[in-house]
Amino acid sequence: MPDLSPLCALGAFDSRSERFGALRLTEVPDLGLVSIALRKGAEAPAPFGLALPGPGAWAEGATASALWTGPGQWLLELPGQGAADVVGLVAPEAPGCSLTEQTDGWACIEITSTAGAAPLEALRERLVNLAPGTLAPGHGTRTILHHMSVLVIRRAPDRLAVLGMRSAADSLWHALSETAARLETQE
Amino acid sequence: MTRLDGGHVDRTRALRFTFDGKRYTGHSGDTLASALMANGVRLVGRSFKYHRPRGIFSAGSEEPNALVTIGTGARAEPNSRATVVELHEGLAATSQNRWPSLGFDALQVNDLLSPFFAAGFYYKTFMQPAEFWEKLYEPMIRRAAGLGKLSMLPDPDAYGRGFLHCDLLVIGAGPAGLAASLTAARAGAEVVLADEDFALGGRLLAETHTLDDDDATAWIAATEAELRSLPNVRVLSRTTVFGTYDHGVFGAVERVGDHLPRPQTVRQTLWRITAKRSILAAGAIERHIPFAGNDRPGILLGGALRAYANRWSVTPQASETDRVAIFTSTDDGHRTALDLMAKGVPILAVIDPREDAPRLGNYPLRKGAVVSGAKGGRKGLSSIEITEGGRSDWFECAVLGVSGGWNPNVHLASHHRGRPEWSEADAQFLPPSELPPGMSVAGAAAGQGSTHGALASGAEAAKAALGLDTLPELPRAEDAPSRGMALWHVPGRGRAWVDFQNDVTVKDIALAHKENMRSVEHLKRWTTLGMATDQGKTANVTALAVMAELTGKTIPQTGTTVFRPPYTPVALGVLGGGDTGAHFRPRRLTPTHPWAKAQGAEFVEVGQWMRAQYFPQEGETHWRESVDREVLAVRSGVGLCDVTTLGKIDVQGKDAGEFLNRVYANMMGTLKVGRVRYGLMLRADGFLYDDGTCARMAEDHYVVTTTTANAGLVYRQMEFARQCLWPDLDVQLISTTDAWAQIAVAGPNSRALLERVVDGFDLSTESFPFMACADLTVCDGLRARLFRISFSGEHAYEIAVPARFGNAMMDRLMSLGQDLGATPYGTEALAVLRIEKGHAAGAELNGQTTAQMLGLGRMISRKKDSIGAVLSRREGLEADTRRLVGLQSVDPSQKIPAGAHLFTAGEARDLNTDQGWVTSACWSPHVEGHIALGFLAGGDGRMGEEVIAANPLEGQEVAVRVVSAHFFDPEGDRLRA
Repeated sequence: MPDLSPLCALGAFDSRSERFGALRLTEVPDLGLVSIALRKGAEAPAPFGLALPGPGAWAEGATASALWTGPGQWLLELPGQGAADVVGLVAPEAPGCSLTEQTDGWACIEITSTAGAAPLEALRERLVNLAPGTLAPGHGTRTILHHMSVLVIRRAPDRLAVLGMRSAADSLWHALSETAARLETQE
Repeated sequence: MTRLDGGHVDRTRALRFTFDGKRYTGHSGDTLASALMANGVRLVGRSFKYHRPRGIFSAGSEEPNALVTIGTGARAEPNSRATVVELHEGLAATSQNRWPSLGFDALQVNDLLSPFFAAGFYYKTFMQPAEFWEKLYEPMIRRAAGLGKLSMLPDPDAYGRGFLHCDLLVIGAGPAGLAASLTAARAGAEVVLADEDFALGGRLLAETHTLDDDDATAWIAATEAELRSLPNVRVLSRTTVFGTYDHGVFGAVERVGDHLPRPQTVRQTLWRITAKRSILAAGAIERHIPFAGNDRPGILLGGALRAYANRWSVTPQASETDRVAIFTSTDDGHRTALDLMAKGVPILAVIDPREDAPRLGNYPLRKGAVVSGAKGGRKGLSSIEITEGGRSDWFECAVLGVSGGWNPNVHLASHHRGRPEWSEADAQFLPPSELPPGMSVAGAAAGQGSTHGALASGAEAAKAALGLDTLPELPRAEDAPSRGMALWHVPGRGRAWVDFQNDVTVKDIALAHKENMRSVEHLKRWTTLGMATDQGKTANVTALAVMAELTGKTIPQTGTTVFRPPYTPVALGVLGGGDTGAHFRPRRLTPTHPWAKAQGAEFVEVGQWMRAQYFPQEGETHWRESVDREVLAVRSGVGLCDVTTLGKIDVQGKDAGEFLNRVYANMMGTLKVGRVRYGLMLRADGFLYDDGTCARMAEDHYVVTTTTANAGLVYRQMEFARQCLWPDLDVQLISTTDAWAQIAVAGPNSRALLERVVDGFDLSTESFPFMACADLTVCDGLRARLFRISFSGEHAYEIAVPARFGNAMMDRLMSLGQDLGATPYGTEALAVLRIEKGHAAGAELNGQTTAQMLGLGRMISRKKDSIGAVLSRREGLEADTRRLVGLQSVDPSQKIPAGAHLFTAGEARDLNTDQGWVTSACWSPHVEGHIALGFLAGGDGRMGEEVIAANPLEGQEVAVRVVSAHFFDPEGDRLRA
C-alpha cells in the first residue's frame, strides 16, 4: 500500500455528493477503468465472463461492465478498483489485447433519480445533443457536454453516469449541478 | 379608450404597468401594445432618422414602430416590440430615441431638415475632411440616429440551453400548425410544436371565424389539451424558431421568464432542435399601401386593427365616437370593417381602389378610390384625404386600417438560400420550390389564406411528411376566397413611407434608382431599407415592387434580398449559452492544483489549463524576483514543476514502431526498450508540427509526449493516420494525458531527491542514463513511470504517478527535498530555463518554421518515409537560410521585445531588409542579461555579429549580439551527469 493519500477528481479527500430535488449527483472515486483494444485479427475477449457490447451499447456483469468506444475498442469499468493496478487485473482476462489504464483519466459522476426516468430525461435534454433512444437504459456513447468531451452511460432507467476528463472535473460538476439545480427550481 | 366587448383577455386579472413613468392598468392576456391602446396611448415611439411620432402599426413580431425599452437597470432590454411583449404585473416600459421626452423630441427638427437627409446623405456629405469621420461625424450621427440604448451593465440573467429531437417540427400554432401537429401526434410521431406567441391559435385568435359552428377558441382549447396530454408531443409556446440550419437543425429561443414579474432561474432557453421533417406554418404578414403621410399614429395594418378588436377588444380610437376608415385593395380589408361594426365602432368608409370592389356589409364603400394623404399631430391621425375620380377631399378620421394583401412568411423556408417565387395570380411571394431538406410549408405561409385551406394544408403536409394513410377529422371552417389587386403605393407629392423603421420613403427608392442602384441588394444598402430589428418584414416586398415599377422590370426580375437567420432578434446572452466569467469555458486543473493553490501560486491560462505561473514568496514584490529565484534554485539545487499538461498518447500494437516511424520525421522503430527519444512531427506540407519525446516501454508499447497546446491535435492526427492512412497496421492508440500526474524534477540534486521516493530502483547513470525510461514503484508500491529527460538543460527527470496521487507526490517530494533545496517552479521559470538551453517551444513551432530552421534538418530521416518528409525537402523550404540563434542584449539591461524583427545594423527597417524575428525572450539569471531566441537569415554563420531587434510599431530598437542558442551548458554535460 503506497503511503500517499489520493485525492478525488474534484480535489478533495472525500468524494462529493449533492441532491437536487429527485436527482442526486455523486462523484465516484473508486471506479477502475481500463481501455481494451483488439489487436489486428483478434477475437473479442469476454473479460470476467462479460460479453463485450456492440456500438452505442453498455453491458453490465458481476465484476465488470463495458462501454463500446469504437470498432474493436471498449472501456471496461471495474467498480471498487480505483486504486488497483487494473491492467494487471484485466490482462489475464483479455489475452492479446492492448490494455491501457484509464482510471485516473476520467472523473465519474453518477446521477440517480428517485422519481424514475423523467428527471434524467429532462437532464439529458438540457445537457447533451442526443436523441432519447441513444441514451436508453443499456446504452452509452461519447458526446460533447458544455464543450467537454464526455462518456455518458445510461445504467438503468433511474441511473445515468457521466465520465469527463479528470482535469475538467470542476467544470463538469458545475455544468451538471447547475442544470440539475435549475430543473429542481422549475419542478 | 375603454375596452370593447368580447376578446381573449382575462378582465378579472388586472395588471399594473408603467410607460415612461406613467401608471396604467391592463389585463392578463394583453400585450404591452394592446394595453397601451386600451389606455388611449397612441404615440409610443419616434422614428429612426426623422424622429417622427409613431404609433403601434402591427399586432405581431413584424412591428417596425412600437419599439420600447422593457425593464430598468441592468435588465433594461432595448428595442423590444411592444406588440409581442406579454404584459405582466409591474412591467416598466420606456420610449426610445427621443430627447427630452416622447411628446416633445428636440430631434424632430430632423424631420424639417428631411430634404437634406435623403438616402445616401451621409455617404455624400460627411466625406471631408477624412479625419473628421471617426472623431466627429460618426459619433454625432450615432447619437442622433438609432434606437434603444444598452444599459452598459453586465447581464444579470442566466440563460439555458437544450436539445430536442423529433420526427416532426411544426413551426407555428395557427390553424395549419395545429392541424399538422394533431395529424402527426395521433399517428404516434414525436412532435415538437413551437409558436412565438404565448397563446396557441395564431390568426384564429384574431378572427371571428367559427369552427364547426362554434367559437374557434373551443377547438383551439380542445386541440391544445389533447396535444399537451400526449407523451409524444412537446408544445413550446413563447418559442421563436429563428433559423433553419443544415441537417434538419433549427434554432429556437423559448422566453422562459420574460413574461413573469420576477427574474427567473433562467430567462430564456436556446433550443437546438433536430427534426427529421419540418412543417413551416408561420402564417403571413400583411402589407400596407404607402401614401403621403401614412406613418401617423393611428394608421395601422388592417389585419392588426381586426386583431386588436377581436383578440384584445381594443381599438386605437381616442374616444368611441372617433371614426375608423379602412383602406384596402383586397376583400380581406372589408372583413375588418364588418368585425369593427359588430363591436359598435363607427366606420367612416371602406376605401377600395377596385372599381368592382365587393360590398360585404352595410358600411359606406368608396369604390375606385384611394387614401392619398393623412394629417395629424404627434398624438396621431386626425384626418385623411380620399381621392376618387380625380377629386380629393379631407375627412375627419382617427384610425385608418390599411390592407394591401398578405406576404407569406417564407423566411425560414429561405434560409438555405432558396429564393421565394412570385405568384402573379396571388400577387405573393410563395416559398421557394427548393426547400430545406425535409421541410414543407402549409397554411398562409404557403399562400393558403382561408381557415379551411390552412387546416387542410397543415394536415396534408403532416400526412405527406410522415407517410400516413389517414387524416384526422378537421372542423368545418370558412373557405371564402379573398380576392384583391396589388396596389404598391399611391403616387403623390408627399412622403409616403415604405419602411417605417428605417424612414425609407417611395422617394428614397426613386432616388436610389436615380443614383443607379439597380440591384435590390444595392437598394437595400443605399437606403438601409429592410435593415435593423424588423428586417423589413412590412417593407421589403412593397419596396421591391416599387423598385420594379421604377425600372420597368417585373417583380421576379427584380428579385428579393437574401433571407438569413435570425428571423427575429435574438439576445447574444442566450446564444452564448449563459456561461460567463470562470465558467465561460471548461477549465482544466492539474493534479497538483490544490497544492499549488495552497502555496499561493499565481496561475496562468494555458489553453484550457490553469498552470502555476510562479510561486511568490514572502518579501518578493515583483514576479521576476520569484522567477529568478526559481530558475536559480533549479540550476543549483532541485526544482519541481507539474508538467501533466503535456499530451500523453499510449501507442501499442505489433506495428507500433512502424506507425511511429511514419508519424515522426525521425526514426522511432529502432528505439530500444527502456529508452526515450526526442522526436519531430511534420505537417503534410513539410513544416514543423509538434515536438516531444517518445518512450519505448515495451517491445510493442510506446508512450508519446506532445506539447500542451497540440495534445488534442496530435492525437487526432495520429488517429486519422491510424484509421485512414494505414488501416493495415496493427496499432492501438489512446490518450492518457489526464490519467498520469507528471512532475519534472530538475537540477543537480534531482537524483538525490528521487532516490528518496523510488522503491529500490537504481538511478545511477550507468543503469539509468540520460534518455532512459522505466516502469517502477515509488512510496511503498505505487506504480509509476520515470523518464530521464530534460527541458531545462539540467540533470532532470519526469516522474509520473496515477493522477489521484499527484498532489501527494508533489507534497512528498517537497518535504523530502528540503535539505536539497527543493523549490517549486512555474511556467515562467520553465520558459527561462528552456530559453537558456535553446530548446524550442510553441513560439518556435508556430506553423511557419521548419526542422532545418531549428538546425534539426538532419533529423528528418531519409531511410524511411514519414508525414511531410518529402515536402520538407522542396526547394522553397530548403532555400530558407533562417536559423535559430541566440540573441543577447549588447546592453544587458535592455529588454529584447519578443516578436521584434531583426535587421542588419545600418539597414532600413522594412520588409525587404527583414532578416528574421525574435521568438522568445527573457531575463536570464544565468547570463545576467536579457537574452532571446530568434530566427535569423544565415544565422548559423553570423555568430558574434551585432544586429538590431526592432519593433517599429512602438518605436523600440535594441542592439543584440548573435550567439549560440545554447546559453547554458552547450555541451550537455549537466544533462548526462
